[in-house]
Amino acid sequence: MNASIKEDVQKTYIDPDQSSNSKNSDEFIIEVQGLEKTFGGFKAVDGINLHIRKGELFSLLGPNGAGKSTTIKMLTTVLKPSNGNARINNYRLIKEKMKIKPLIGVCPQENVIFEALTAEDNVKFVAHMHGMDFDEINIRTKALLEKMNIAGRKKAAKSFSGGMKRRLNLVMSLIHYPQILFLDEPSAGLDPQGRRLVWDFINDLKKTGMTIILTTHDMIEADVLSDHIAIMDHGKIIAFGTSEELKNSSSNGNILEFSFFSNKELIQAQKKLKEIDNVTKITEIENNKLVLSFSGGIKTFKEEILNCVDSFKTLQFREDTLEDIFLKLTGRGLRD
Amino acid sequence: MDSINTKAWYVAKKNVKEKLKNYGSMFWTIFFPIMMLIVYKLVFTDDGNNDGTELINGLTVFDLEFPGIVVYTIGISTLTSAVMFSVSKKNGTLERLDSMPVGRGNIFLGAVLSETIFMNLQLVLVFGFGYGILGAYFEPTMFFLGYIIAMIYGIGAIGLGLIIASFTNSPEAANGIGMMTHMILMFTSGSFFPFESPCVYFTPQFWVKQVYLQSTVLGHSFSDKLYSGSMIGYSSDPISITILGGIFIIIFFTMTFIFIGLMLFQKKTKL
Repeated sequence: MNASIKEDVQKTYIDPDQSSNSKNSDEFIIEVQGLEKTFGGFKAVDGINLHIRKGELFSLLGPNGAGKSTTIKMLTTVLKPSNGNARINNYRLIKEKMKIKPLIGVCPQENVIFEALTAEDNVKFVAHMHGMDFDEINIRTKALLEKMNIAGRKKAAKSFSGGMKRRLNLVMSLIHYPQILFLDEPSAGLDPQGRRLVWDFINDLKKTGMTIILTTHDMIEADVLSDHIAIMDHGKIIAFGTSEELKNSSSNGNILEFSFFSNKELIQAQKKLKEIDNVTKITEIENNKLVLSFSGGIKTFKEEILNCVDSFKTLQFREDTLEDIFLKLTGRGLRD
Repeated sequence: MDSINTKAWYVAKKNVKEKLKNYGSMFWTIFFPIMMLIVYKLVFTDDGNNDGTELINGLTVFDLEFPGIVVYTIGISTLTSAVMFSVSKKNGTLERLDSMPVGRGNIFLGAVLSETIFMNLQLVLVFGFGYGILGAYFEPTMFFLGYIIAMIYGIGAIGLGLIIASFTNSPEAANGIGMMTHMILMFTSGSFFPFESPCVYFTPQFWVKQVYLQSTVLGHSFSDKLYSGSMIGYSSDPISITILGGIFIIIFFTMTFIFIGLMLFQKKTKL
């Protein structure tokens, strides 16, 4: 990480310890301090600090293996932290597990459903585990299944499509009106329609005042839905803020994205582009693409840039996205 | 306590629904024992030719080997429970349950309840076929004792299933190892076919079959000595342990399997 980027991260990162001192702790429904999880010698989560406000939609954004799911498993009492502590609605994570469990709903990354049962049986079983009464279970099961377009199906869940299983997975996590909903990659594997349905549903839930913790490696999802975003990599939170704050943290707001026909062309262009003063960072991403960050307006050195590149497939000019922020912070793409 | 029992009951109800839709499991638990009963009846019944198939007080080999079928039927819970726990471990449903306000105690109790419901269903069918249709002999006054012994053994079989599920990484492996374990124990205990050897004493199946046979079929009392096998008066001799002692040994096996099973499964699945 170069010095300017480090500075940017520091600008946007809110130290939870400091913020807890300065703000009323009732404002936060989740407070995490120095949370760690080690598997053998490998630190999956490396001392993270977080403060999540009541009623907000908080996204943990990062590539596969960043430690997002491990963090969620610890916060949902399934996985015991190796170190550190957290409070969920003022209950201690390690010592007051059984007080935390009724408050939370968990939608795991994989479709964890009882395949031999119908959608209705799956949802009702979870409701019974939360001790809901019969009338409430019937009304709410029907409403949620209808909302997710899976009502009235009498066949076992194993015959459902991937999207239907995903939506059932989500309904199972919501049946008991949790105060805090953990969504681990909720739209993974969904088609655009299904994804939109889930997003709309999440937005509706947000309006009810439910606190939602979302993990995703989908930039757009994080951007569209979140109040605050924490970017995670190698078990650490490397940036924190609103989507706008994170985007503004970049001093180089302009991006050129080249797509080349071959890697040879890419390497040649990369060598020449490095010599241009205004170019602040060059990152190679998948499919023979180069992402070029530069300062100043494009008009001033358009010719200079184009002279460095003999041929290219496509050229796109745009402002920084969350993905660019991530590239700057980690030097790799989200799907690496 | 009320909520503990209620949640365990819902876990059991869910498990039973899942089991009923698993046709492979239904074959081994319901149809295979009935098929074995019919085969035993055809092979071991007295054909009226006075060729030695009639052994003791008018009892045929089929009467004496019927307890072996009961032991097989109940012991198949080793396989079905190993698969059930392994599935919950593999597909993440156990982890999902762990995030809900339901303790592992309720989950295990629910599993034992569902297996017990199934064992009862199996016993009703096997007793109905064996005693009702195929005419296996039993002492009516001792019938309830035989039922209780079968149930105690069945809970031990669930414990053995838990042990297997702790070490297997897939339901397929649990199925294979569960079946292999059950069948090896069935043969080495002499439960399927009479087998006289000191090694039989190390298997719970031997004690279950012998206690069940001597009490429920032969009408022996608690203080009577157990025999070394089912061919009593033919090749089996009395041993120093009484029927009551045999019941304690069955209870010991059951408690040991359940204790080890719970400890291992907890240890292996605690994240």
